[in-house]
Amino acid sequence: MAVKPTPSATDRREQVGAPIATPTQVPISVSVADEFPQGIAGFAAKAMSLVTGLGITARRAIAAPKTLSYPREKYPISPRWRGPLVLRGVLGREGIDLIDAPSVDYNATIDTLHREQSLAPCVGNCPANVDARGQNYLMADGHHIAAYELVRDRNILPGVLGRICHHPCESVCRRLQYDEAVAIRPLHRMAYEAYQSDRPAIESFPLTQQANIAIIGSGPSGLAAAWDLMKLGYSVTAYEKDKTPGGALLTGVPAYRLPREVLASEIANIVEYGLDLRCGIEIGKDVPIDHLIGEYDAVLIAAGLQISRGLPIPGANAKGVRGALEFLSDVNRRQDADVKGKRVMVIGGGNVAVDVARCALRVGASEVRLACLEASNEMPCHPWEIEEGLDEGVIAMCGNGPEMVLEQDGLVVGMRLRECLSVFDASGRFNPVFADLFTDVDCDVVVFAIGQAPDLRDLVAGSDLVLTEQGLLPVDGSVLSTQQPGVFACGEVVTGPGSAIGSIASGHEAAISIHRFLAGQSLLADRVFRPVPTFPKYGQATLDGVESARRRVEMPLSAAGERSRDFRQVELGMTRLESLNESARCLRCQSQVCVGCTFCARTCPDFAITVERIDDPGHRMVTRYDLDLSKCCYCGLCAEQCPTDALVHTGQYELAFRSRELTISDIAEMRRDPGGTRATGCDALRAQERVEP
Amino acid sequence: MSGFVGGLIWGLAAGTLIAIAALFGVWWERKVAGRIQMRIGPQTTGPAGILQTIADTLKLILKEDITPDQADVRVFRLAPLVVFVPVAMSFSVIPFAAGFAPLDTSVGMLFFLAVPALSVIGILLGGWSSRNTYATIGAIRAAAQMISYELPRALAVLSLVVLAGSIRPLDVMAAWSPWWIIATAPGFIVYFIASIAEVNRGPFDIPEAESELVAGYFADYSGIRWSIFMMAEYGGMVAASLFGAAVFLGGWNWLPGIGGILVFVALTLALVTAMVWVKWTYPRLRADQLMSFAWKIMTPAAIVQLVVVAVIAPWL
Amino acid sequence: MDATETTSSQTGVLGGAGVSSESADTAEGLVINVGPSHPSTHGVCRVIVHLDGEIVRKAEPVIGYLHRGIEKMCENRTWLQCVPLTDRLDYVGSMYSNWAYCRAVERLSEIRVPERAEYIRVLVCELQRIASHMMALGASGADTGAATMFIYAFDERERVIELFEELCGARLTYNYVRPGGVSVDLPEGWTDRVLEFARKHRIALAEMDRLFLGNAIARARLKGIGVLDPDVAVAWGASGPVARGSGVNWDLRKHDPYSVYPRFDFDVPLGSRGDCFDRARCRLFEAFESCRIIEQAISQMPEGPVMTAGLPRLLKPAAGDAYDHIESARGSLGVYVVSDGSVRPYRVKFRSPAFCNLALLPLLAEGHTLSDLVVILGSLDPVFGEVDR
Repeated sequence: MAVKPTPSATDRREQVGAPIATPTQVPISVSVADEFPQGIAGFAAKAMSLVTGLGITARRAIAAPKTLSYPREKYPISPRWRGPLVLRGVLGREGIDLIDAPSVDYNATIDTLHREQSLAPCVGNCPANVDARGQNYLMADGHHIAAYELVRDRNILPGVLGRICHHPCESVCRRLQYDEAVAIRPLHRMAYEAYQSDRPAIESFPLTQQANIAIIGSGPSGLAAAWDLMKLGYSVTAYEKDKTPGGALLTGVPAYRLPREVLASEIANIVEYGLDLRCGIEIGKDVPIDHLIGEYDAVLIAAGLQISRGLPIPGANAKGVRGALEFLSDVNRRQDADVKGKRVMVIGGGNVAVDVARCALRVGASEVRLACLEASNEMPCHPWEIEEGLDEGVIAMCGNGPEMVLEQDGLVVGMRLRECLSVFDASGRFNPVFADLFTDVDCDVVVFAIGQAPDLRDLVAGSDLVLTEQGLLPVDGSVLSTQQPGVFACGEVVTGPGSAIGSIASGHEAAISIHRFLAGQSLLADRVFRPVPTFPKYGQATLDGVESARRRVEMPLSAAGERSRDFRQVELGMTRLESLNESARCLRCQSQVCVGCTFCARTCPDFAITVERIDDPGHRMVTRYDLDLSKCCYCGLCAEQCPTDALVHTGQYELAFRSRELTISDIAEMRRDPGGTRATGCDALRAQERVEP
Repeated sequence: MSGFVGGLIWGLAAGTLIAIAALFGVWWERKVAGRIQMRIGPQTTGPAGILQTIADTLKLILKEDITPDQADVRVFRLAPLVVFVPVAMSFSVIPFAAGFAPLDTSVGMLFFLAVPALSVIGILLGGWSSRNTYATIGAIRAAAQMISYELPRALAVLSLVVLAGSIRPLDVMAAWSPWWIIATAPGFIVYFIASIAEVNRGPFDIPEAESELVAGYFADYSGIRWSIFMMAEYGGMVAASLFGAAVFLGGWNWLPGIGGILVFVALTLALVTAMVWVKWTYPRLRADQLMSFAWKIMTPAAIVQLVVVAVIAPWL
Repeated sequence: MDATETTSSQTGVLGGAGVSSESADTAEGLVINVGPSHPSTHGVCRVIVHLDGEIVRKAEPVIGYLHRGIEKMCENRTWLQCVPLTDRLDYVGSMYSNWAYCRAVERLSEIRVPERAEYIRVLVCELQRIASHMMALGASGADTGAATMFIYAFDERERVIELFEELCGARLTYNYVRPGGVSVDLPEGWTDRVLEFARKHRIALAEMDRLFLGNAIARARLKGIGVLDPDVAVAWGASGPVARGSGVNWDLRKHDPYSVYPRFDFDVPLGSRGDCFDRARCRLFEAFESCRIIEQAISQMPEGPVMTAGLPRLLKPAAGDAYDHIESARGSLGVYVVSDGSVRPYRVKFRSPAFCNLALLPLLAEGHTLSDLVVILGSLDPVFGEVDR
């Protein structure tokens, strides 16, 4: 009988590495013995066995043969067949395809690339699928303006996002596997700077459609939608309640990260392209939304988040307790938040909390502390943000939750914190566990930076739009439509607090919905939604042995002591030469053009590949690619890790320079002119092309 | 003189016949073996690859005729002919049609049994003269095997002689009646098995056992000489089938005229097919097992058959 | 007088077979070279056979014709680059060498392999076991002259190889199992084709059992030939079907369960006499068991990644050493790796079952005939890529 060890046996073995059963414990399972009987019966059995054998061969002889009938039938070859290698394209000779489909077809293009496994990770991981690969390709050749225009189609504010984006592209950059990610975000910024310094004349988009559209809010999502719709030929009007446009980019992002003139110039460009931007008009107060609904063919609510969440803890109403958005808004509008010389305590561990803390330093706070539930290594903010903040003097108190605000005469005098042991439970839900360990910290101002929420009550007042009890606008998350036909919503109103690039992506989706609505199409039919590809997290490579010329351009930062007191930019940007170098580091993943990265040569176990390339900025080419097929062992390691997919296996026989297709000769083929014979391999390549659709 | 001319004509005709028989035998074996092994067999040269053997023969003729350095050259060159000629001669006594055998001799049955056995001399010569261990072992095995199987084969045929009362094949054919098939069935089986062993075919291909002796006694032969060995093997296979189909199974006695010839051909083909079928189904016996099979089972069986036939002959 | 010298001085057309009368210890006999180029040596093995008539008095295997220094070559390549080299060890069971090497490397660098990858590894290795055993069975057919058995067995093997070709693009040198997982996920619909194969394969196995192992002639050729005593098998380090044919109950899948094998219900076929027949039939039964494991593996297979996430491209295991072994089609295949903390192995050593099994040949062949020698050699199922390394 068979034994059935428990499944946990594997795990035990993995741990202790010792046998779990000795030979005596495993019983004999099956005996293979088989004997003929003795005597006459045995003779008969032997004779029968001979007859049985004849019967079996006869049956097989009658059945249809399994081999192929030459030359009529062909042998199907596996798509993964590892035949001789071939290089599909070479840097300096072949260009790469830019992803510049119109916005209504963009998702379909991305989806196709994804299914064909030819989507670069950076493009796939970007919520708005910005063609970072194309940007790098153009910039490496010095076409900075073209790169800017390419990026702008999907990322409406390259200069802004080039400073503040959380760059999901870089976190999946395949270059990480070899050294460091390509600096895609700083290159956006460089593209903007180049564009701005040598700006071509702008002609507004022609109006080709009858319909007009109103957009409430001039944040990233509203602008992205406006851009797409303007490009489609609609007349677009944007309403902004503030005097200056920009939405959350203006009120929420500190100037040391995003200089105001950058935002202003980017929006000014969009206005020049034909956006009718009306500032200082608050929909719901100054103009009722019904008026817009009546006057415009479609209305897009991209109002963003307005209020900070508070905490129901004792003392939360004391004077000196403030919300993060109000605080940042004050800082950004007035460069002052009435905290000069005061001690500020920021509650929260997200990016907003860090922004608040760093702003507080800049508007003169004497001491800034930041308390968050999470341990320092699991803070939700981006690691580089908190690192820069710590450099500037922010004191982080990780693993501490707010217990109560200590007040005296209605004024904040301190904060009592309670040590937090864990934030999430085993199933990953938010469920903090606290210890009975309290810390009192003296402070004068407490800023809660623990989340934001939309405030749409005024906006929808008097319309058919109904808010939920939590004050949220019910929106179909995929097509971004509201209860009322013709009214759409996008951005953080829909997604909740998120990234700027995420808002932009939702703006693009909203633009598609509006276009379909105005064209009378179904919002859903035949619509391709953006695929959500997952890319492997590449193991971080060590940098020893990587020559500095191949490393990522280091972004210069202003000195921490200097910068922490004013609102000058922290990141100083890169030079044009640096941008040429940096963009050339891009591996151009999945572009099918060899960039001479030499990874194939380094991974070949037979040392059969030699690659050389010229590395001058702005003029790069692969000068030599030697593939010694006589050494090749067809292991496939090189093709497997070719980042660009340029090196591929063909369907040919090993070293025979013939595809299996060509094993079938016909007379015409045998008699023809020897020019371009099979021996040269030309035919094999041609046959390969025939095989591939 | 006319006897010489006639003999020459007959000889040429017989040679051609054997060549055709061998060519056909090779093609047929390749086709049948192919189907047994789920393959197609020859398929491009001529319809269904029928011309494949001719192409192969041409290739073999054109190949270099290699003589090993240390071989006994004259013997080495002579050996294939010594193997082939007796096989070719054996065709001459086969009763092809009513009243017709190329060599209508009164000792035809004996002739058919005795003459092919001479080829063992050729095999010995070839194996020994190659000065190759494998070939020598193969030749010795062949000698032992062929001589052992002569006896049961002769005894099996003898039962027919008893029934017919003559050793002239045409007489045997004339006396043949369908009852003989039942009466001599064990004898026929012994004849069939012994014939397979006689032509060194599987499962009795010990002298040329490919997996042990590479190619046995003709390991060092190449080109046309090698093909003569092969022709002798296939010729012998066809000759044994023809003879068996005639004297044991009645051959052309089943139907009158041309129909009888067709039946004869069909029976022969069936026997050839059976030989191929057996070869491609069974493993090979070991030399000692082969001997004990011959002496302990085949020979006694043939003797019992002979006695039984002798007893029941008056009633048939 | 040295026999080797005698024969090598008489190099003839076929590996120097010559009539030898000088040899002192076989004054009346022959000394022949079976191989290195011979139809039944299963590669490039040379056996110097001292014959007395047809009886083998002494058989001496000479190995090294396929020595490529793979263990040494590994020291000059990165940890990943060694995987294609392991393909070339046991070239009729590349998956095993891949897996054994990867297990050792994973043990060394403390990599946890995703569960799906473990299932895929088990799946491909059991398919590989079928392919390898079909090769061995077919070879025992060819050795005894049953060419059709050889073709039938190879037909089954071909089906497996086609599956592998579809899976990883190669027919023999798969380079599929990698440190951290497997190189690529299963193609769409592949598991269905594997199940279909397993279903048909059982029928074919039963047919082969009747055609060949049930045949009176084959039994006469295999039974009582090359009898291996269980104690001798253990003493000589035999493993795999060679040891199990003698009734030595030793299968690493049961006795030192690795990967996900404990989750499968399967039996270990054991012989009782230890002759060529038992060894061959063990292989046939093991192919049956492999079908069972394949079906269970497919039904249990979880979804998920097939490669450990975040694995650096250049592995750099900490200095140290690791040994791991798996049950290959030929027996216990062990790999010992030593790292000095660099990107290349300091030392890689393969414990190849075929080498240990082949050492039994002189013992088993003595007293049998020349015809039995090739059958015994075939029943040991040596693969010389692995023997010589």
